[in-house]
Amino acid sequence: MALFKRKDELPIPPGDAEKYTTVCQYCSAGCGYNVYVWPEDKNGSATANAFGVDLSKQGKLMSGFSYTETMHNVITRKNGKQYNLAVIPAKESRINKGDYSIRGGTNALTAYNPDGYTKKRLKDPLIRRENGFVPISWDDAVEIIATLTKSSIDKYGADSIAMKFYDHGSSGLGFEDNWAAGKFFLSGVKTSYLSIHNRPAYNSETWGTRERGMHELNYDVDDARLADTVVLWGANAYESATILYTEHIMPNLQGGSVADKKKAFDPGEPAAEGHIVIIDPRKNATVAVSQDIAADRVLHIRPNLGTDWILANAIARIIWENRWYDQEFLDKRTDMKTFGEYKQKSLQSGKPLATLLADAERITGVPKTQMQQAAEWMAKPKEGGFKRRTLTLFEKGIIWNMKNYDQVAAIAQLNVLGHNVGRVGTGCGRLGGHQEGYVRPPAPTPGSIHAGGPPKNVDKYITGGGGKIYWVGATDPYLSTPNSQFFRKSVKKRADALLDYLDNGGVPTEVKAYADKVLEAFEKTGGLFMIVQDMYMTHTAADAMMILPAAGWGEAVDTSINCHSRLLRIYDKFMDAPGEALPDWQILARIGNRIKALYETDGNKQMAERFGGMEWKSDAEVFEAGSKEFGDNKVAETEEAKLSPECYVGVTHDMLRKLGNEGIQTPVRRDPATGRLSGTKRRYTHSFASKDGLFKWYGTDPWTGYPAEVAKYQHNATYPFWFTTGRSQHVWQTMYHDRKIPEKYFTLPLPYVEIHPEDAGKLGMKSGDMVDVFNEEGSSTALVYVNDSTKPGLIFGIMYHAKGSMNHLISSYTDPKTTIPWYKGTKVGIRKYTGKPDEAIKTASLLANNDVSL
Amino acid sequence: MKLLSRRKFLQSSTATALLFMAGCKKQTRPGSKADYPSLKIGNSKTLKPNQPLTFNFPDRQSPCVLVKTGSEAIDGIGSQKDIVAFSSLCTHMGCPVTYSKGRLICKCHYSMFDVNRNGQTFQGLASQWIPQIVLREDPASGDIFAEGVQGLIYGRIGNLKVS
Ligand code: SF4
Ligand code: FES
Repeated sequence: MALFKRKDELPIPPGDAEKYTTVCQYCSAGCGYNVYVWPEDKNGSATANAFGVDLSKQGKLMSGFSYTETMHNVITRKNGKQYNLAVIPAKESRINKGDYSIRGGTNALTAYNPDGYTKKRLKDPLIRRENGFVPISWDDAVEIIATLTKSSIDKYGADSIAMKFYDHGSSGLGFEDNWAAGKFFLSGVKTSYLSIHNRPAYNSETWGTRERGMHELNYDVDDARLADTVVLWGANAYESATILYTEHIMPNLQGGSVADKKKAFDPGEPAAEGHIVIIDPRKNATVAVSQDIAADRVLHIRPNLGTDWILANAIARIIWENRWYDQEFLDKRTDMKTFGEYKQKSLQSGKPLATLLADAERITGVPKTQMQQAAEWMAKPKEGGFKRRTLTLFEKGIIWNMKNYDQVAAIAQLNVLGHNVGRVGTGCGRLGGHQEGYVRPPAPTPGSIHAGGPPKNVDKYITGGGGKIYWVGATDPYLSTPNSQFFRKSVKKRADALLDYLDNGGVPTEVKAYADKVLEAFEKTGGLFMIVQDMYMTHTAADAMMILPAAGWGEAVDTSINCHSRLLRIYDKFMDAPGEALPDWQILARIGNRIKALYETDGNKQMAERFGGMEWKSDAEVFEAGSKEFGDNKVAETEEAKLSPECYVGVTHDMLRKLGNEGIQTPVRRDPATGRLSGTKRRYTHSFASKDGLFKWYGTDPWTGYPAEVAKYQHNATYPFWFTTGRSQHVWQTMYHDRKIPEKYFTLPLPYVEIHPEDAGKLGMKSGDMVDVFNEEGSSTALVYVNDSTKPGLIFGIMYHAKGSMNHLISSYTDPKTTIPWYKGTKVGIRKYTGKPDEAIKTASLLANNDVSL
Repeated sequence: MKLLSRRKFLQSSTATALLFMAGCKKQTRPGSKADYPSLKIGNSKTLKPNQPLTFNFPDRQSPCVLVKTGSEAIDGIGSQKDIVAFSSLCTHMGCPVTYSKGRLICKCHYSMFDVNRNGQTFQGLASQWIPQIVLREDPASGDIFAEGVQGLIYGRIGNLKVS
């Protein structure tokens, strides 16, 4: 028997099926999709159908049209009728050209179906009574939360409310929801205890480049095909931004884009198959696949954890010594007044090259020869003196590294030194995790320690007993925050204390009395009232006092940009949200409007005004309201750097519907000459995003070893292994959808670790064993895969999984400059459990996912 | 009559049509609307571990691969339950897959399917697991028959719906 029910035939959409355009709900690539909806009893035929494809013939390989088992579902609309749903990768999208990944290929399966995999959605607002959740009406939920929020602000001040809310695009529902969350928390509540979905504070993960005048999304997908060299730095592109790799980086490596390079490059400039530099402690699938394509054009560098900025500076020094830079560019486009500091601290010009390289080799563990090779591939001019074109993409391996600010700054500066931004085939920025869609009023902390920061650490505030109401939106911090075991225990204790107090003597049924008793409980217990907005019951939500059901992708209109082209598109609504679920913007607007009314009743005009401006009637109105935050966008092309990276002033939902998969690239300008809206393909060709338009250099810190939170494990035989985390190709984030989808949970039934065969031999461990990974922060249980992805002495774990989190092991250290955690490094011990999870092993493949050889 | 020549399965999107025997006895499988033919594709007594055989099923436009994996497989047949067969069109975008080291691998975008684990995609882009062919072994002769398909063959609206 197959592990789950399979299909051997799919329904066909008739010519008049409803058709919508959307974008994948998952990763930063933002692949285009077309959605078809049609009544269950009204199918098209093989030759006459909405796809416009002759389905009577065997489909050809790589035709760009795929319709597989995982791309179909049946949905039920509010009218009670059932409809077929097909979610098909768009051939006409220049991002994916009909290609798709294992994540996006299951978009249809995630659609709510009362009889399907995702039937267990949250459908009503829930309140906890007598330690169980009870459904209540929206009116009651809004009244309770509005009353309680207002009372808490009035009695304890705005900082008694803490929040952890998503700020991204796609699955979270982009600009609309983010503007609403911004209005509610930043303008209305005005708490300074704000944090963003995955992290303890409200910050950018890339202030190290933004404060140089270079926003991290500055390139176009085309640049990945046109670069002479692509650098992936702590960025596992094949597994986590898959289609950028397979449709853009891979063809470059294979030589498929040489003709395009010839067209795009300067006359006489050499154009050849691409090179790739992959800087990653693991030999993951991105490395394995790249080597399988062109081993001699792949350089894989494996630095010691936490040392990347030292490596970046050493490579920059080699470039500097060899004069592989363009002095005219440096003089005209960068602030040479700040260059001295960079030269002294980062390039360490006072130190002889040989000494610097020897030091760097000792710290990073990377051979000098590899630093030399990387410098040549990144910046050595090509034959004829033409500047090399290098696209450098960094991601979690850098932003979640030790010393977030300096790591990001070092890589940005290394690239600007070689003028690798603003030209065809260049760029330097994030690979991205999710898509984006950020528009909010100004944050209380504008930047790093060098620019008005650092922001407050909300995790430490909450675990230290601070705050009364903790509001969590579309994130599951019990799994995802660093030091999550301690976090979970602390929050649970406070949530339970509050609940026990309320239970004692019975929970008042009338709203005002309920709020009063909660306030009394705050006084008596130091308890925490947690509100969770989500699509599913999450690990965190289980300890909430109130849960609000949110609409998801496809259930509301959303607009977002992808990361690799800043391509703004509409993600249209094609189905109804289950039960009473609402888009987050609507939830926050209802509560905000109610708080405003309560203040008006009090005669408190000032506070009422703070909660004003949320009287939106439609998603299109929220989108438009948010655009005002960007200011005027009437600038010439040469002035694009003055615009906010996600600026979309003048764009409307209707316009985006017409543009469909084509979209428009932010920042969008209104061209002063033509008066027309115009997108921006590539950024910083003419100037940078600083006041005077010049790139600002910065001198990074020297190597001073590991922070105390991790240094305590060094030279301690109980914790002999370095430990790092990452993601799996298969699943998205906490697997909130994927945990319900058999194609995913059978393959990845449990959280897992990868162990090198040499270590596994010494430890007597085999693939399929269960282990306890531990240190002084906590412990995690995991399934073992033995493969050579890691190095001896280094264990890799999936960051989190529906059945557990490896963030238990991660310390509470954050970069003092930015409050960004070091998710990616600590030390651990490991021990084997007796007995094996036979059922799990029966379904899960234990084959090495980084061996692609025949 | 020798139905199959044993040879290493090489990359080929048009596996040799001569292996397909049309007009065999029809077999209706419970729970399936499809009406698959029954096709003899090999013999368990002569099948050698990790030496795959190619065949076409349910029609000549659908290349498949039969393999004795050497370890117990989900839905495997034979005395060791290690004989399995799969479509050899990658479910991602239809490229040919090649058998090696216990998995089917597609070199177009490097999807890999575990033949002992129901053809699950354990790495790569294919969101649909590769279809597993329903097999039956005749206990006396050791003849192996293909009699159904679990899952949708790439490039088709229905497994038995191509002209
Ligand atoms: S690569 Fe990313 S955006 Fe594209 S289909 Fe996969 S998950 Fe979706
Ligand atoms: S066609 Fe096989 S992995 Fe893409």
